[in-house]
Amino acid sequence: MPLKRYVIVLLAMVLASAWTAPQAQPLEVVATTPSLGMLARAVGGDQVRVRVLAPDDRDPHYLDARPSYMAAVRRADLLLEMGAGLEEGWLPAVLSGAANPAVNEGRRGHFRASDTLSLRRSVTMDGPNVGHVHAEGNPHFNIDPLRMAVLADALAKRMGQLRTEKADYFLARSEDAAQRLRQHARALADRIPADRQFVAYHEDLDYLEEWLPVKVLGYLEPVPGVPPTARHLRRLVRDLEGREGRVLHARYQPSRGAGFLQRHLGWDIHAVSLEPPVDADLEGYLELMSQWAAVFGGG
Amino acid sequence: MSKRNLNHGGTGVLAAVAIAAMPLASPVKAQEGVDLNISLILEGIYFNELREGNESPAGFGGGHHHGDGHDHGHHHGFDEGFNLGHSELVLEAKLGDFMDGTLILGFDDHDVEVEEAYLRTRSLPAGFQLKVGKFLSDVGYINSHHPHDWDFVDRPLVNEYLFGDHGLQEIGVQATWLAPTQSYTLLGVELLQGETSGVANYRGEQSAINGTERILEDTEGPRLITAFAKFAPDLGPDHAVQYGVSAGYARRYQETEAHSTRFEDWNGTAWFAGLDAVYKYDAGRSYGHGNWRLQGEYFYRVIDVDRRDVEFTDVDSDGNPTGRNIGDVRNVQSFKNKQDGVYLQGVYGFAPRWEAGLRAEALGLTNEIGRGDGSSPDPSYRYAAMVTFRPIEPVFLRAQINHNDYADDHGRDRGLDFMLQLNVALGAHGAHRF
Repeated sequence: MPLKRYVIVLLAMVLASAWTAPQAQPLEVVATTPSLGMLARAVGGDQVRVRVLAPDDRDPHYLDARPSYMAAVRRADLLLEMGAGLEEGWLPAVLSGAANPAVNEGRRGHFRASDTLSLRRSVTMDGPNVGHVHAEGNPHFNIDPLRMAVLADALAKRMGQLRTEKADYFLARSEDAAQRLRQHARALADRIPADRQFVAYHEDLDYLEEWLPVKVLGYLEPVPGVPPTARHLRRLVRDLEGREGRVLHARYQPSRGAGFLQRHLGWDIHAVSLEPPVDADLEGYLELMSQWAAVFGGG
Repeated sequence: MSKRNLNHGGTGVLAAVAIAAMPLASPVKAQEGVDLNISLILEGIYFNELREGNESPAGFGGGHHHGDGHDHGHHHGFDEGFNLGHSELVLEAKLGDFMDGTLILGFDDHDVEVEEAYLRTRSLPAGFQLKVGKFLSDVGYINSHHPHDWDFVDRPLVNEYLFGDHGLQEIGVQATWLAPTQSYTLLGVELLQGETSGVANYRGEQSAINGTERILEDTEGPRLITAFAKFAPDLGPDHAVQYGVSAGYARRYQETEAHSTRFEDWNGTAWFAGLDAVYKYDAGRSYGHGNWRLQGEYFYRVIDVDRRDVEFTDVDSDGNPTGRNIGDVRNVQSFKNKQDGVYLQGVYGFAPRWEAGLRAEALGLTNEIGRGDGSSPDPSYRYAAMVTFRPIEPVFLRAQINHNDYADDHGRDRGLDFMLQLNVALGAHGAHRF
C-alpha cells in the first residue's frame, strides 16, 4: 500500500534526523550571566551557540523568570549557572517551566559553576540577615579571572562529555583561555601600588582581593540586600576618617551612598561594570579586567 | 532574593504546629534525598469602609453562589478593623529531578484549607509536563498567582465572580506542552473535577419531595475541561510581554436555592472563554525604580440550564396555606445567563522600593440574565488605587483605596473602602513566576 510505505519513509526520515542532528549541530548553550557566556565562547569556539539570559547592566539577583528565558532553556543542550544562590530568585522557576530534562539540576546538561570552585565566605553567612543569604559562599566570583580560569577547565571537560569527539578541541581552548586569564591578571596586579583600599556597595567586588593587591574596607549596604541607611553611612565615615581609599559600585546600583562618602572622606567614586557585554568573548573580559585595575591606578 | 532564613526556631515551631502530623527532622533539609523547602507567608489587613455602597454587583451573587457553608469572610470582603488576611504555609519538595511536590495551606484565624497540593513532572521528554492534584488553573493570568504575588490587596472582580472566591481552583490533571520555538509558546489542557462555584457549581442529586424527583442529578467527574495557550515573544532585556487565551466547558452546572416555600433548582452546562495580557518594563535600576507592569484580563461566561422548582411546604412563613401541594412543580424553563468581566491595571515603581498602581474593573458589560422573564442589569464598576512599600525584599506594606460603583436592583450606589496590608514571606520561598 503506497500510503503505508509513505508513512514508513516519513517515519524513517524523522528518526534519522533525530539521530544525526545533535551531532552535526553546535551545542546550544544558555548562560545565566555574560561572564559565563564569555567563558562558553572562549572554550566552545565554533562548536557552541551561546545565549545569555541576564543583561550585563542588571543585577543578576533580581530578574523575572521571563517566558523568553524558558523558551531559551527549553532548547538548550547545556545550561550554565553561577550557583551559590545568585540566581535563586528566578532560575528555579525558569527551569521548572522550561520542560527540558536534559538541563535539570544534577544532569550533565546543567553546569553549576560554584560546585567546581572554593568560594570566599559571604558576609551573609555571619547574620543577622534579612532575606538574602548565600550559605554556600560569595557567588560573585565572575570578577576573579583566576577562578574563571579554573572554571574554563571544568567547563571544557563538561562540554567534552556532551560532544566526545570535540573533547580535545575544548580542552586545548580552555588551556589557552586559562593561561591568558592568569597572565593578564598577573600583569595588572604588578602595575598596582600595594594596599589600595576601597568600599563597595555590595559584596560583589570582594573577589578583586583575590588577584589584585587591594582590600575591601566595608560596604555601603548595612546588610546585603538592604539599601544604605544614613546611620550606617555615618558609621562608615567615622571608621574610615583620615584614610585613603575609593568607593566602587556597579553601574546599576544607586550612587547616593557613595556620594556621602565622597563628601565626607574626599574619596573618588567609580561606577564599574561587573559583567562584560552579553556578546563578549575572552578579549572583552580581559578588557573589563583592565578597567577594574584602572580604578586603582593600574590601567 | 535567595534563601530566606528559616533556620530560626520561631518559624520552625510555627511550621511544626501547623502541620503537627508531619514528622519534621530539621526545618529546612528534612530527609535524605528529599529536598524540602518551607516558607510561611503571613499577612495582616486593616480594613475600613469609609462609605457604604451596594454589597454585590447586579446579576452576580444574589444568594446563588454562596449558600453552602463556604463563608469565611472572603466573599464579602473583610471585617471592619483588623483581619488576619490570607496567610499561607508553603512546602516544596523535589523527588530528584523526576518530579516536584507542592503543598500550600491557606489559613486565616478560623480555617485551614488546602489551597494547592500537587505533583509536577520534571523529566518528561519533548517539552511535555503533567501536573496532578489540587491546583490553581492556568487559565488567564492572575488565576494561578497567589495573593502575596498580586499588585493589589484583593482579587479582581472578574476572577471572583466568574470563577470563585479562590479563583478556578480544582482537583484534576493538567498537561502542558512547551513548543521548541524561539518565542515562548505554551499549550495546555486541564481535566478537572468541576466544583468551582462560578463555572462548574455542582450539587449532585437532591432527595425527592413527596415523590417528586428533583431536576438535579448526579454527574460523575471530571466535569470541567479547560484549555489555554500562552505566547511570549522575546523583546530583549527591557521589555517582556505575555499573551494568553483560554476557555473551559463544564458538562454540569447546578444550583439549588431554598426560597420560602420551594427549592429553585438549575441543572445544565456552562462555558467560558477569555483573553489576558501582561507587559513588564525593566528600567534596569535598583529596587524596582522606574519599572512598569501592565496587566489585563477579559472573561465571558455562559450558563445554560434547565430550571424546575419544587414546593417543599404548603404553608407560607405566616402559617397560611399557599394553595399548592408539597411536591408541586413550578417555574419550568430553560434559559441562559451570559455575563462577562474585565480589568486593567498598571503599576509603576516611582522610587526605589516604592510602587503605585491603578486598577479599573467592569463586571457585567454583558449581563443578560435569562432567569424568569429575563433581565439585563447594569454593569458594575470598581476602581482601585494603591501604594506599596518594600522596606526589604520579603516584606511589603500596602495601602489601597477601592471605589465601588455597583449596580443592583434598586440602582447604583457608590462605596469607598480603605485597606492596609502587611505581608511577610519567611523561609526559603520559591522563585516567583512571571
